[in-house]
Amino acid sequence: MFGPFRATSPLSGGLLWKIPWRLSSPQKRRQRKRLRLVDNVVATVDAALKRQNMESGRNLVRWKEEMPTEEEMRPKDKYTMFDRKEKKYRKGIHKLPKWTRVSQRINPPGF
Amino acid sequence: MPFFKITLIRSSIGLPKKTQGVLNALGLRKRMATVFKPVNPSTAGQIMKIKELVAVSEVEAAMTSAEMKALRKPDPGYYIETPGLG
Repeated sequence: MFGPFRATSPLSGGLLWKIPWRLSSPQKRRQRKRLRLVDNVVATVDAALKRQNMESGRNLVRWKEEMPTEEEMRPKDKYTMFDRKEKKYRKGIHKLPKWTRVSQRINPPGF
Repeated sequence: MPFFKITLIRSSIGLPKKTQGVLNALGLRKRMATVFKPVNPSTAGQIMKIKELVAVSEVEAAMTSAEMKALRKPDPGYYIETPGLG
């Protein structure tokens, strides 16, 4: 009944894990910080190439065209992402595997 | 000739083999490793592949690892006197 091996619902089998459905406010703050760090890297690379009068590569051009910066993003897109299997089609971004090291900023067309 | 100073901040553990391959190609083997690469579109493309993992700045000249270590070294707080001439 008590102790480390008590029969709680996560332990009594199955895949009931306790992952909160939304981010806490410090998690959201760190998420914004990571978004800004990526924005800074892209801006640095872009500025360095411009200074040398070199054209930027395909992936840099595409990123600048398609991806919003941290300030341009809506809170909804910063902390949640599209998922076709969820109710109302949104789930917390922390459900994305390796979510602190991958970029997930935009939605599929129409969402 | 300007250089990109690239420091690996986040580890690539568990990321796709392609991402780890880009890091290997840049010579970033462990966290907080720093490399200098010339500013050109091909380096820029490599950085874009790993932009979530690194910190990048543009510098005028590349430094060797010995020079970077000398910058980190603290002031010893003493100096050794040499016998004067007069």
